Amino acid sequence: MPENDTPIQLELPMPFPELGGDMPLLPARMVNEYQYCPRLAYLEWVQGEWAASADTVEGDHTHRRVDKPTRNFPEAGDIEPHEVLHGRSITLSSNRLGLIAKLDLLEAEDGRVTPVDYKRGKRPHIAKNAYDPERVQLCVQGLVLKEHGYVCEEGELYFAESRERVRVAFDQDLQDLTLNAVNGLRLIAAGGHIPQPLVDSPKCPRCSLVGICLPDEVNFLQGGAIEPRPLAVMRDEALPVYVQAYKGKIAKNAEALEISVDDAVVQSARLIDVSQVVAMGNVYITTPCLQDLMKRNIPVSWHSYGGWFIGHTVGTGHKNVELRTAQYRASFEEHICLTIARGLVRAKIQNCRTLLRRNWRGDDKPDALLDRLKALGEKSLRATDLQQLLGIEGAAAAEYFGAFDKLIKKSDDPRQMSFDFATRNRRPPTDPVNALLSFAYSMLVRTWTMNASAVGLDAYRGFYHQPRYGRPALALDLMEPFRPLIADSTVLQVINNGEVRPSDFISAAGSVALNEAGRKRFIAAFERRLAQEVTHPLFGYKTEYRRLFEIQARLFGRYLLGELAEYPNFTTR
Amino acid sequence: MAAYEYLYLVTYDISDPKRWRRVFKLMKGYGDWLQLSVFQCRLSRKRHAELIALLDGIIHHTEDHVLIINVGPAESVKPQVVSLGKEFEVLERQPVIV
Ligand code: SF4
Repeated sequence: MPENDTPIQLELPMPFPELGGDMPLLPARMVNEYQYCPRLAYLEWVQGEWAASADTVEGDHTHRRVDKPTRNFPEAGDIEPHEVLHGRSITLSSNRLGLIAKLDLLEAEDGRVTPVDYKRGKRPHIAKNAYDPERVQLCVQGLVLKEHGYVCEEGELYFAESRERVRVAFDQDLQDLTLNAVNGLRLIAAGGHIPQPLVDSPKCPRCSLVGICLPDEVNFLQGGAIEPRPLAVMRDEALPVYVQAYKGKIAKNAEALEISVDDAVVQSARLIDVSQVVAMGNVYITTPCLQDLMKRNIPVSWHSYGGWFIGHTVGTGHKNVELRTAQYRASFEEHICLTIARGLVRAKIQNCRTLLRRNWRGDDKPDALLDRLKALGEKSLRATDLQQLLGIEGAAAAEYFGAFDKLIKKSDDPRQMSFDFATRNRRPPTDPVNALLSFAYSMLVRTWTMNASAVGLDAYRGFYHQPRYGRPALALDLMEPFRPLIADSTVLQVINNGEVRPSDFISAAGSVALNEAGRKRFIAAFERRLAQEVTHPLFGYKTEYRRLFEIQARLFGRYLLGELAEYPNFTTR
Repeated sequence: MAAYEYLYLVTYDISDPKRWRRVFKLMKGYGDWLQLSVFQCRLSRKRHAELIALLDGIIHHTEDHVLIINVGPAESVKPQVVSLGKEFEVLERQPVIV
């Protein structure tokens, strides 16, 4: 080679390592997502997260007219020069490029082909008449077509709402942009590191995964300056269905659940409004109904008649393997277990303290008690092993429950029965207050078990609570700080407001339990508590407890995956 | 915070009884049956898009007619309604406890 020649930069047709046989092809849609936001593509492609939003539903609807596939679109060499052809819903892939694309519409004219991609909405009024993610997605289609030997120089975007077509030339700039996105996506997928969330971006409010990604929250916890926007804080549309009636039966009728007792329909609930089904005692669910619930990702939890959580039925489960792997890995590390456990115990003790302070009914101020709890809370952060932490938690519980009776309203009339609390006991609870506490805890375990699995965590592998057969250890861990805030506070509420009375209990063989009517009122109060709005102490926005649980569970996942340096425990003032 | 769900009145005129049944069944999954061919629904943006997509897939555009009327934010709206005969209650969302 002559010395004075400038070296020729050879273009590698496949800049990224050759695809191995088991590497999945990248869908064109995913390249679009990467161009929109790399984190979005990572969440969907690597972690298998998916959430429908109004935009995705409308998008699917826009595609329905083109979704009926055409068979036998001619191969590249078989197109006659003057033939005019249309093909719909054609899927093409290239192993060399490692790409797969679904073409809404393919038109052939004068020997050239033009892919047409359907978009919902109107043509954006910007310089290129289309946003880069859409142009890139179309260009992927062009690349794959060329790979199959077609002559393809441009594509079209069709905007359904304004019925406009926009031409997109596959020029060098766009091809570079596209290959860049393809390689970028491969790189982040292979690297196994989730890209940073966008900062205060107008894209996030429109992003269907905003509630999973938590961009502002993660940025904020990583030390960002901007206070989170309440983006992810949407309200749950769906709510639980409880069936505790003796001999209740749940079946499906069209789009609704029908609940009957002794063959008479007593209630129906639209499936779209159901977040989970809670079956207590001898409740029967028909198989078609159960299958449909699984298909719709609506979990069913099973409880003994007294509320003891037995287990739950879900469909095929969450796809986020990466998260579960991180969870298991962390759970084998003693120091991580200890760090997590310390934080949880401390938050719990703090919240117990707040509950005592807020609901105190005694004449004297319990200053000394509050100080002792505060000291125990701080001590828990210095615990050197789980055993010691357990001791501190026990000491705090003794202080807390030792004073719990002071939170309960007593009847002025001594002839009336009132609630008394001496010590905490369970299995079986021997007095009404303990029966209520046990029932409330089992409701909370169920809520957290569902919540943990819904975000992709394994509810049974914990850090503080060691795994034991059938015990949702992680749910028990994460619920610790919420015991006083949700369970104990609901118990106090129903007692002090007279929603549940001493006469609502049945006792047999030394154990005490709520009767059916009392339990129904208690469940309603518990759900009301979950629907109550609280201000998040870190993020400053208001959200329902129910939604807060989900955010906390997701933040815990972000911590396990190494995105956050610590898990931000929830405490109230 | 902006309203998340809106209350809608949905009324329809479907010329073919078979399609009418399908629309009726679908509507039962999205709202409360008020009277013949009239439903009230609480819908988020997503549910709204879903319902439109599904209805659009059932009806014949030249023969049938569906009206979806937005009455206002579901949590706060108090529609001024004169209801003779039966009582009219605005749809609320609550957990079901049986
Ligand atoms: S919410 Fe924002 S940062 Fe997160 S994936 Fe969506 S666009 Fe990206």
